[in-house]
Formats: sequence, C-alpha cells, structure tokens
Amino acid sequence: MRTFASRPLIGLLVLGLAVALVPSADAQKRGGTLTIVRPTDPVSLDPNLETTAPGAWVYFNMLEGLLTLDEKMQVKPALATAYEVMSPTKVRFKLRSGVKFHDGTPFNAEAVKFTFDRALKGTPPARWASLAGSLSHAEVVDDLTVDVVTKEPYGPILRTLAMYCMGIVSPTAVQKMGADFSRAPVGTGPFKFVEWKTNTHVIIERNPDYWGDKALVDRVIFKVVPEEGARMIALQTGDADMVLFPSPAQLPTLRKDSKFTVHETTGIRVVFAGLHAGQPPLDDVRVRSALLHAVDRQAILDNIMEGSAGPARGVLAPGVFGYKDMQLESRYPFDRSRAKALLTQAGWTPGPDGIMQKGGQRLSLSWLAARGRYPKDGEITEAIQAMFKEVGVEARVQVLEWAAVFQQVRGNPLNHHMFTLGWVTSNADADYSLFALFHSKQVPPSGWNTSRYANARVDALVEQARRSLNQTEREKLYGEVQDILAKEMVWIPVYTTKEIIATRASVKGFHIHPVEYNLALGKTWLDK
Amino acid sequence: MLTFVVRRLLLAVPVLLGVVFVVMLTIDLLPGDAVTLMLGEHATQDAVGKLREHLGLDQPFLVRYLDYVGRLARGDLGRSIQQNRPVASELADTWPATLQLTVAALLIAAAVGMAAGVASAVWPNSLFDDLARLGSLFGLSMPIFWTGLVLIVIFSLWLNWLPVGGAGSLPHLVLPAVTLALPSVAMIARMTRSAVLDVLREDYVRTARAKGVSEVWVLGRHALRNAFIPILTLIGLQSGQLMGGAVLTETVFAWPGLGRLMVKAIFARDYILLQGAVLVFALAFVVINLLVDLSYGLLDPRVGRQG
Amino acid sequence: MGAWARFRRNRLALIGLALIVVLAISAALAPWLAPYDPARQSLIEKRAKPGAKYLLGADEFGRDILSRVIYGSRVALLVGVLSVTIALVGGLLMGTTAGYAGGWFDAVLMRGIDILLAFPYLLLALAIVAVLGPGALNTTIAVGIWGVPAVTRIVRGSVLALRETEYVGAARALGAPAPALLRRHILPNIVPSLVVYATLFMANAILLEAALSFLGLGVQPPTASWGLMVSTGRDVLLVAPHVATVPGLAIMVAVLAFNLVGDGLRDALDPRLRGAV
Repeated sequence: MRTFASRPLIGLLVLGLAVALVPSADAQKRGGTLTIVRPTDPVSLDPNLETTAPGAWVYFNMLEGLLTLDEKMQVKPALATAYEVMSPTKVRFKLRSGVKFHDGTPFNAEAVKFTFDRALKGTPPARWASLAGSLSHAEVVDDLTVDVVTKEPYGPILRTLAMYCMGIVSPTAVQKMGADFSRAPVGTGPFKFVEWKTNTHVIIERNPDYWGDKALVDRVIFKVVPEEGARMIALQTGDADMVLFPSPAQLPTLRKDSKFTVHETTGIRVVFAGLHAGQPPLDDVRVRSALLHAVDRQAILDNIMEGSAGPARGVLAPGVFGYKDMQLESRYPFDRSRAKALLTQAGWTPGPDGIMQKGGQRLSLSWLAARGRYPKDGEITEAIQAMFKEVGVEARVQVLEWAAVFQQVRGNPLNHHMFTLGWVTSNADADYSLFALFHSKQVPPSGWNTSRYANARVDALVEQARRSLNQTEREKLYGEVQDILAKEMVWIPVYTTKEIIATRASVKGFHIHPVEYNLALGKTWLDK
Repeated sequence: MLTFVVRRLLLAVPVLLGVVFVVMLTIDLLPGDAVTLMLGEHATQDAVGKLREHLGLDQPFLVRYLDYVGRLARGDLGRSIQQNRPVASELADTWPATLQLTVAALLIAAAVGMAAGVASAVWPNSLFDDLARLGSLFGLSMPIFWTGLVLIVIFSLWLNWLPVGGAGSLPHLVLPAVTLALPSVAMIARMTRSAVLDVLREDYVRTARAKGVSEVWVLGRHALRNAFIPILTLIGLQSGQLMGGAVLTETVFAWPGLGRLMVKAIFARDYILLQGAVLVFALAFVVINLLVDLSYGLLDPRVGRQG
Repeated sequence: MGAWARFRRNRLALIGLALIVVLAISAALAPWLAPYDPARQSLIEKRAKPGAKYLLGADEFGRDILSRVIYGSRVALLVGVLSVTIALVGGLLMGTTAGYAGGWFDAVLMRGIDILLAFPYLLLALAIVAVLGPGALNTTIAVGIWGVPAVTRIVRGSVLALRETEYVGAARALGAPAPALLRRHILPNIVPSLVVYATLFMANAILLEAALSFLGLGVQPPTASWGLMVSTGRDVLLVAPHVATVPGLAIMVAVLAFNLVGDGLRDALDPRLRGAV
C-alpha cells in the first residue's frame, strides 16, 4: 500500500476538485426545518437494538457504514474508500481519513472493530447480527486500515456491509453513555441527534463538521402520527412536509396536484401467499399451479394496491442482486378454465356446493393471515379467497394478530395450508432470500422455508452461490435456482412493494431509495 | 372515615397484586412472546435463545412473578423488554397526557351530560328533550375513530381552527377530549334524566311539592341529592372506561397517552411494560372507586359506611 | 293499567319496537332479502357510489353494501343480545348477593370485580380468542364478560341504597324472607336503571365488536359485520365516505331502536305506577 505522508495535501486537492465539480448549487437554499410524519415511534436509535424502519429512518442519517447502497442498488464507498480481497474469508478496507464522530473523537479502524465486536460478540448479540450471515469480526491493521473477517467464504459480504444497520458508532460515546446510547446515538453522519420525546417526536440537526457534502436543512423533526387519515391531512395543511406511508387511495389526487410531489420506486419486499407444499392437497404441483392460475394478480394491483405496489415477477424483487424475472405472467396467466382443467387433471371434480371434491374430501384450505403487518395483507387474502371460490376452492381464512400468526408460521408443524407473508431481502442479495426460504434444511424453526420446499439441486446451488466470491458466477447460479422454482411454484407472489413517499412541492433534492430503511436526507433542501 | 379510607387502600393491595398475577399469566398463555416478536423474522433461533436468557425470560412463571413483586415492593417497576428502558420513565412520559385527556373528557361529559339530563327531566317530552335525546343517541352510536376523523376534517381541514393532532397546548386538547367525551355525555345525560325523573316521582317529592315548597328547592334538595347515586356510580365507571377506551382516540389524534402504550405492549407481549401501565390504571381506578364510595356516604346518610 | 298497555301508548317506543322487528326479519330472511351474495366481489367496481346497480354503493372489494348490511344484522343481533344477556345475568347475580349480603363477602367479591375492571379489555379479548378461537360468538362472550363488572357495580349500588329505605326496613322488621324482599321490593326498583343501562350497553357492545373485528378477533372473512365495515371503511373516509357511513348509520338505527324500546320499558315498568309497594 502507498504511504500517506502527502495525504493532507492530496486530500485538499481532491476536496477542491470535488467542490468545483459539484453542479452549481445556487438554486439550493440552506436552512429550514423538515417535518416528517410517520406511524410509529422507534424502539431504539441504536442498530444493535433496532433494525426496523422507524428507528432505521432516523439513524440512517446519523450513522454511516463502511459501504453504502445507492439508489441504483450499486455498492458505493462511504467510510471506506477502497477494498482488497486478501483471502476467501478476509477483505481489507482502507478507511476515509479526517472523519470525526459527532462527539469530536476520530473515526478509525478501532471504532470499526469496536462496533463489530459490540454487535457480534456482545451479550446479547445485536439485532443485526442475524442479518450479517457469516460475518465474524474486524481486525485492526493500522489506524486507517481494517480487515473484515468472515467465518467461511461469504459471497454477499459487500452488500452485507452496505446495509443500513451497519453504521459505525463512537466507542467513546458508547462507553460513556452506556444504556442511554440507544436513545442518543453518536455517529459520523450528516445529521446529529438533538432530542427524542417518546411517542411524540425525534429531532436531528445538521452536522456542520460532516466530512462530505454538508446537509442543507438545519433540522429534521420525525413526528409520530398513527392514523393514516391524520397524516394526510397534516401534509395538506403544511403541518408536515413529508409523509412516510401515505394513503394509497389519495395518491392519484396528489400526483395531479402541483402543490405536492409523490416519490416512488420499486422496493425490495415481496408479499405472497405461501403454500404448504409438504401436505396434501398442495403437495401436488398441479393443484398449486391451478391456484396460481386462479388469481387475477393485475386486478389486485389495480384495485386493492391502486398503484402503490408493483407486480411480483418472481420470488425476488428487481434491484436485488441475483434477481431473475420468473415470467409469471406468461407461465401462470390468470385463466380460470386452465385452473379448473388442472384440478380435474389432479383428480378433483366439482361437488354439489360448487367446491371441488376428491374421494369424499372437499378442496378446503385453511389460510392464516394477519391484518396490517404488510400493506393490505388482510385485503389481498380476502380478495384471493373470493377468486378461489370461483374455481371451486374453498379457503377458510383465519385473521389473527401478528403475534399469533408469527408463532404458528414459525412453528413446526404448520397446521395451515396457506399463509400470507412478506419477505424483504435485507441486504439486497439473493442469498438472503433464496437460502433461508427454499433450502430444504431451513424449515422452521431453524429457517424460513415455511412452504417446506425440498429440491436437492436447489440446495446445492444456493450453497455453492453462498460460498463463492465471484459475483458473475453467483448470478448465474441464482438464475438457475429461480428457473427451477418457476416450475414448482410454492408461493403465489402477489406484489412487490413500492417505496412511496409524499412530500410538499417545497421539498427538493430528495431521492427515494428502493430499500425502505435508506431514508437519505443529506441532499434534501426546502424551497420556502 | 379515616379508618375506612385506610382500610380500602390496604384492600387495594391484594387487588393490585392479583391484577399483576392475572396479567402475567394471560400474557404467558397467549401465543407468541416478546423476544421472538422483537427480533422478528430475520433472527436466528440462537439469537432468540440468548436474548431470552439474558433478560431472564426463560425462568418459570412463579419465579418471574415473585421477582416482579419483590422489585415492586422496592418501588422498581423494571425495564421494558422492547427498549430496555425503565418502565417508570415510559410511564412518566405518557401518563400525564392520558390524565389530561381523561380529566378534560370527564369534566366535559359530566358537566354537559348532567346539565342536559336535568333539563330533559324537568321538561320531559319537550322539543329540547327530544333533541337532546336524539343528539345523545347520535354521539353514542358512532364509532370514536369515525367521529374523530370527521371532527378533524371539519375543524382542521375545512375551518382550520384547530391543529390536526399531537399534544402540546389547549387547542390540541379540544378535539380529542370532545371526541372521547361524546359517548359518555350521552350515557350520563340519559342516566341523569332517568334517575332525576325517578326521584321526581317519589312520594316525598310529591309531598314536598304538595306542601308548596318551590320547584327549585325540590329539585336541588331532594331530587338531585338522591338521583346522584346511580349517576355517581356511572361517572365512576365512565372514568374507568374513558381511561381504557382512550386508545382509539389517542390513535386518531396522535395523542401520546398510556392507552396506546398499553396496546403496543400487549401486541409486543412486553409484559413488564404492560404491568406498569396496568398498575397505573388499576391504582387510578381504586382511587376513583374510593372517592365514589365516600360520596355515597356523604350524599345519602342512610347508606352509612360500607366495605 | 297494565305495563303492556302503557308501553303501547308510547309512540316512540313502538317505533323502536318496529325497528327491532325489522332488524329481526332482516336477520332471519337475509338470504331472500339481499340482492347479491354478500361475499361476491367485483374488484373493478370497488367503492362504487350508490346507484342503480348497487343501491347503497359497494365496498373496497366491490361487494354490495346493502347485502352486507342486511347480513350484518345477524352479527349485530347476536352481539347485542347475547353479550347483554351475559352481562346482565352475571351482574345481577353478583351485584344482588354482594349488596344484600354485605360484610366480608361483599368486600371479597368487590375486590374481585375491581381486578376484572382493572384488567385491560384488549388482553381479556385476546385471551378468550386464544383459548376459544376467533369468530363472532367468542368475541361476543368476551364483550359480555367485560360488561359484568359494570352491571355488578350498578346493581350493588342500588341494592345498598334500597336496602336501607324505610319500606324495605319495615318489611324486614316484619320478618319477610330475603328472596321475597329482593323480588318484591328491591329488584323492581333496580330494573328501570338496568334497562336503560342495558340498552346503552348494546350500543357499546356493537362498537366494541367493531374494534375487535378490526384487530382480527371478531368475524372472519368474508362474513359481514357492521362494525368491521365501518372500521375498514375509515381508510377511505375521505374519498368514499359511504363505505363507512352506511354501516355506521345501520349501527345508529339499531342502537336507536334498542334505546327507544328501553325507554318505553322503563316507563311501563315503573313500580310507582304499578301500585305495588
């Protein structure tokens, strides 16, 4: 590696070039307070304790990781500037120099090691430890060089490090604040913490010492407004500048109104109706295919999701590394007669009450769903229930609270034929989903293969893809997995989420990110 | 009187312990548990097990119950499972808001309800009476989240008189308090009307009237005094319902109160936080019941001291 | 003059009774009265405004609201009547025994009631559902159990007061046995307040069922319940108000009916007018 004697000079030069190359910013205005409304309060602002959106939205702007994922889902440098693969289980990162935490202490390799140890070796381990796959620890090489070590060769390593929850924390602050750190985190980001009034609001303010492009607004207030109707009204009256989770029914009006801007992009979560393929009658691939043909996915997208979600083209979302379009529209088009024909092929005939029968047994499926866990999960279940009836399949839906659904779905055995679930590929790498959801050894409670799918070839493919560091090879392997899955569908994918945020037109410079947790406000400014 | 109060407060202790016991038992019996829910779909079995052990949640029920009661005796409400934050702080953040809302709603309900009820009883079957009864029926039948949203649309969006939600100042309190009070206004008005009507027909009232005592005197001295007992019972009950039922109001108006906290804790199976909230409610309830029973004695000397 | 004759002369009470009869007929004859299958969906016609095809409009799945309101009367009647019955029976039993017996029995029972009252309602409902399973009947039981403490307190309060009145005191002095006292002197005086409270409780019961159904503890899809219809319709209150308002009006009419009848009953049953003392 090069020596760094002339580092400060080079740094200045680079900075100067950067400033000169930045597009003329005289249209941007500095200052102001951005008010954001969303449904719930965070549990914590420390990634160790919180990996869900309410906390992530806030700490994403205060804590930064080694790498980050930009809006085009490409891995980009953040606190690390370069990397080098030393061995199949070790990657060396060069860290950015001259970066300080909000408390003034310097960012260095020690801080990285501290963050990882705290999370992976702490008692109890961090929430995000489960998302980190084979990540083991970090080793300090020198002040600005750190080695990230994995337990075994881990293909998704870069994307894992680019996750929203991998922010590096200030060791000094953690040691000084103890448990209070989770309510007032200290990182290196463009914003720093001001105050958190539980169930009311969280306030963060511009960090004037940020190493990169400084934030344009002075303050951001995250307010809690649980009722969707009230959030939309706040946007209308100007009490709020930005609404997270806006009401889908109002989006068409907002799009046409020049006082507002609707930001949207395809997300990385797929919501689906899972089929228990380990149990009759759904162990018969013809019955499963019939169910797929019975669902009018487009009608659901148009009338229930109303443009707030995109079509599900497979079990992964576009934007996830390794995604392949599984051509569901051409393989399983909405076709009731085809569905009925397949059922007949499988030995089912219409009974006296219209429900299919075989050997005295009615084609009656029990279906477990929650309401409100995923957008419109209860509604799509109800809609598909009615669609099934049209082809002679009876679905007995049980809508329960999420805790009850979670427990049953996570349990073994599963006493239902179907369940409504969503799955987000947290690190935007196919391994995260395909391994946990379809490997035969990942049946609950060890994994999330709730469908009890078992295919030896798929097992071998996902194992191989996980251990390979050759991204081209991995992509090919995942392509084959999805081809096989397409023929044996154990899911009815319903939609891919869309990340949608509604703002007043005065909010400019905001770019929405496919990963819902990546709420980047560093370039946002207010035209007021 | 003092012995009565002390005795009642002492009797409250087994009630509170009983509530804690039942709540903890119920949460245990419900499907799902705090740690699995907290860590979510993406956590490994190992992580769940470790965290549960770390928090002491894998201990048998009685051990956890006695541990909780022991700490309670020392004034320690524990730390919430979800946030590892002292329950006392969580409660301190939220109970003033609920108290504010409940008291405001109760005052509105009692004042408006009793006034309307008395007026209805004094002029039964008049236009006022009919309108009042119809109005109170309306207030009773519409779900709180519906009335709340309608009020927001009228007063925030169209008229822009009042803020949309959240807490902070008196204007913020108006809509939630009115929404929460509406069903109670109706109940209290009806109960008042019914009770006052009953008393007005009593023999001794008729006697008083026959003796030529003025109407107002009859009303004040005899009618209201005795009608007050069922009314008072109802007000006592309503306050309990207001506290518990404030959840929907708190949700619609983003009011940061105890009701919302409790529901969140129930769905997250965070029983330590839940018990803290329940204890606050239970304690408030005991105090209110005590006040109501005390006033029985004040209002109707014939009842004497009970309990 | 008999109670029934007095009731008959009360026009409002008769209107209420008529409405209840309409409700009952609607529930009983739903399959013949409803123009469409209440579960029949037509997604493309979601939130259709009231018109020729769907008289009261359509909901978010394109289901006919009129048909669902008609079928919803079944759930409303079940919830209203059954839960009130549970609450009244339980509350009367406990309230009269506590109020009349007094002493330590009263104290223990009332502390038990206090525990139940302090117990979060949502938790109670969840527990019942966890044990019995979801569905309208089990939610109704939960609502009924929830109502018992309130009725107990009201009954007990009145019993306490009446126990000490002159005429009861006189009857006791004359050696009248407790059950007769209760039946003849005390209960008739409680009934008017109870009747009024019961009718109000029915409104609450339907609304509670609405909240519970929304949380997934009540009726299961595709069954129609007015409460659930209002709850799910509130998401579109600003764009299609009829989806939530129509079932809300149905609730109001049903509640109105019970209240009118309740008032009529109270007036008709007033013991003072009956002449029995």
